[in-house]
Amino acid sequence: MDDIQEILEDFLIEAFELIEQLDQDLVELESNPEDLELLNSIFRVAHTVKGSSSFLSFDVLTKLTHHMEDVLNKARRGELKLTNAVMDVVLESIDMMKTLLNCIRDNGNDTEIGMDLTDIINRLEAVSGGEEIPPPAVDKEEVIVVEEPKEEIEESDEDYSNMSDDEVEAEIERLLNEKRAETKKKKEAKKEAVQVPTTAPVTQAPTSKDNPAPPAKKQASSLEQTIRVEVSRLDHLMNLIGELVLGKNRLLKIYDDVEERYEGEKFLEELNQVVSAISLVTTDLQIAVMKTRMLPIAKVFNKFPRMVRDLSRELGKGIELKISGEETELDKSIVEEIGDPLVHIIRNSCDHGVEDGDTREALGKNKTGLIELKAYNEGNSIVIEITDDGKGLDADILRSKAIERDMITEQEADAMSDREAFALIFKPSFSMAAKVTNVSGRGVGMDVVKTNIEKLNGIIEIDSEVGKGTVIKMKIPLTLAIIQALLVGAQEEYYAIPLASVSETVRISLDEIYTVEGRNVLRLRDEVLSLVRLSDIFSVKQVYEPGEHTYVVVIGLAESKLGVIVDTLVGQEETVIKSMGDYLQGIDGIAGATIRGDGGVTLIVDIASLMDMAKGLKVNIRESMQSKSKKKTSPEDYTVLVVDDSKMDRTIMKKSMEPIGVKTIEASNGQEALTMLKSGEHDIDIILIDIEMPRMDGYTLATEIRKYSRYKKLPLIAVTSRTSKADRLRGVESGMTEYITKPYSPEYLENVVRKNTNLLAE
Amino acid sequence: MSDKLNKIFEKQQKQIDEPQKADEDIVQLVGFVIGDEEYAIPILNIVEIIKPIVFTRVPSVPEYVLGVFNIRGSVIPLIDLRRKFNLTPMNNTGDTRYIVMKGKNNTAGFVIDRLTEAIRIKKSRIDPAPETLSGEKGMIYGIGKRENSMLTILKVEALLKRDF
Repeated sequence: MDDIQEILEDFLIEAFELIEQLDQDLVELESNPEDLELLNSIFRVAHTVKGSSSFLSFDVLTKLTHHMEDVLNKARRGELKLTNAVMDVVLESIDMMKTLLNCIRDNGNDTEIGMDLTDIINRLEAVSGGEEIPPPAVDKEEVIVVEEPKEEIEESDEDYSNMSDDEVEAEIERLLNEKRAETKKKKEAKKEAVQVPTTAPVTQAPTSKDNPAPPAKKQASSLEQTIRVEVSRLDHLMNLIGELVLGKNRLLKIYDDVEERYEGEKFLEELNQVVSAISLVTTDLQIAVMKTRMLPIAKVFNKFPRMVRDLSRELGKGIELKISGEETELDKSIVEEIGDPLVHIIRNSCDHGVEDGDTREALGKNKTGLIELKAYNEGNSIVIEITDDGKGLDADILRSKAIERDMITEQEADAMSDREAFALIFKPSFSMAAKVTNVSGRGVGMDVVKTNIEKLNGIIEIDSEVGKGTVIKMKIPLTLAIIQALLVGAQEEYYAIPLASVSETVRISLDEIYTVEGRNVLRLRDEVLSLVRLSDIFSVKQVYEPGEHTYVVVIGLAESKLGVIVDTLVGQEETVIKSMGDYLQGIDGIAGATIRGDGGVTLIVDIASLMDMAKGLKVNIRESMQSKSKKKTSPEDYTVLVVDDSKMDRTIMKKSMEPIGVKTIEASNGQEALTMLKSGEHDIDIILIDIEMPRMDGYTLATEIRKYSRYKKLPLIAVTSRTSKADRLRGVESGMTEYITKPYSPEYLENVVRKNTNLLAE
Repeated sequence: MSDKLNKIFEKQQKQIDEPQKADEDIVQLVGFVIGDEEYAIPILNIVEIIKPIVFTRVPSVPEYVLGVFNIRGSVIPLIDLRRKFNLTPMNNTGDTRYIVMKGKNNTAGFVIDRLTEAIRIKKSRIDPAPETLSGEKGMIYGIGKRENSMLTILKVEALLKRDF
């Protein structure tokens, strides 16, 4: 029984593969009816399915394919002209064949759904007999008992389940031998048929002896060598690579540190070689493993020629579909998600985009509409473009429709750019169709597009010109497991934003932020961009004052855009998304976490949920960023930290500052000063630093302090007896604000402190 | 030959079975202190105990979830038991430890004030949690009675259950 099961599985896999090719071939055949090679390959599919299904006793399927084979055989021999009407019948029968195969896959037999074949068989027979095609029967639901097609399957009609294993073996052997003999015969016969098609014998119902085709023999020889691997194994491999990538990041980071510390040492050269070799190999390995998971997008694209053909017949418009870039590869999981959105977009283009032939002619366009489906790589993403040369979208009509449906207010509509108006079509329950048709008009389709693309972290852009056509562009990341991310800082926390969602970063001054009806917006070229602060969304503790300028990361998801204000841009890094476990599953705004080169954890932003959260925020960014500066009025509010190992020097400095009236605290070395600063006990406004100190010298102290973003602007003043130019340079490098050389006059020090705290003498 | 082998197998099986029998009514626990009280959890639920390391804050979670940290390549949450038990938060001291516990589908780190010791206690010495306490979201497995102290034994699955 297991043997049969195995054979059944193989049969299904093969049949589905064949059918995928079949659709493509048939549509091509229609525009190219003379192509004998195509016809032959289609015929072979029908024949193979028939042969295998009769072997497996699927009678309904056998009967159907048998009649299809008849028609195709005649066409192949040039006895039948493939008109549109004939094609319709053939295509319909192929659809039924698919349904039957699905039924076999799900139920293990082809009778479960009780499909009625009389109607289609009548029409197939009519076609093959060259008669007028009877119209399709209206009531297809009616179930009739399927009669046994005795003639064709007599050989394979025996009951295999009653046989012993040996008998089955023998039976299979016999069938194989028979087939081989037939194949040989067939090949010869075919040669003849191809050379002199008109003289080939005409048979109304060819028995399997007359017309057996080598099952998928040719197919196999043209295929590359492959093995089937479970997806879970590839997933595991991908996880391991993820770990390796993290390890590599860490190694690179350590190398940077080591390089800084042991500059000029000989071993660095060797280390460098090893590190770069490993990093190179890791990257290659990652790409190689990613490639194993890649499928050509053709897998999705292939079904569209047939779909467009059917639609164009149904709608009575001439539409041509041009596909390019179908060899572009995508991760398997993405290929599975991308199909539905494309179906909806193409349906829309056919139904709403392309006008009917007469209108097009009146407009001076080519009578046949053109839809182009294009895929190509762009950086780490893949772009899929759907272009039609139809009537295009009218932004004004979209606006008024949306107002009509209470989706937006008139004010909002006025403020909308054309592009934003185009994006309205993605709103649920929004439809431009005047009436609901079979094809579209329910306002569901484009919402599906949006949801699916969002799931993939993709971006959708629409461009359209009235009368010229519409371009829909979808940008989708190549893979979901390892992503390129932009690391940004919000106060002292870091977050990773998937780079695929980042369209640009800009540096703006606070004056450029406007508030419109409680929304913070930024005018960026011709667009108005909503703004939120990352630290508001994630309620990050405010530890330091932002400057006059700030960075905006423009993120896009599906059709919408948002400006996110961050305090620092760190850079781009390869990140591996790690789940945070069940305990922290589904936290708002967080997609997962990644481990950085230094071993720390950085959270990855979930763009879709971030955009939702942004809608609920009401913070006046400009005000909160400006008014937050603590009011320090009198000199007593200021604290000066004096760092020097000599008690006398500290006293001299304190004395010099007495006239200002500031509070002073002391530290005797760098380490102590750093601890004081970190403890946050004192609110320190300025630090005077001696260079030569035990435990930690002044340069190191300054470097350490500058590592904290909240102390980026804290005035650090070196007070030292080192006077050489090199020392001064090192001071600047380590981040000192000013450099005072000993001996100095008390007034000079006083002035420097006054200047850096804005406590000017009256 | 096969007789000999069988005998060896039997002997080995005996060796495996017997110590289990002896331990059947003994529970091994690890004790730790939070605030003024001593708690314990079964030793088999502990993955490891580490000194405090850096963690990353996670937004939009209750206060007692301090964030996440990296333990040999896995990102796991860090939960402050002081805050979870509504005690005043405290800065880390030299005795502060993270206990990494593993349940059926979850792993998390817990901040505790200090460790005490590994404890072996007879099952018969463990009383079920008193009625008045069982309301505490069922976090308590039972009360262990020792010579001169009481021990609150916590339910690891309950600690690892997300309750927000």
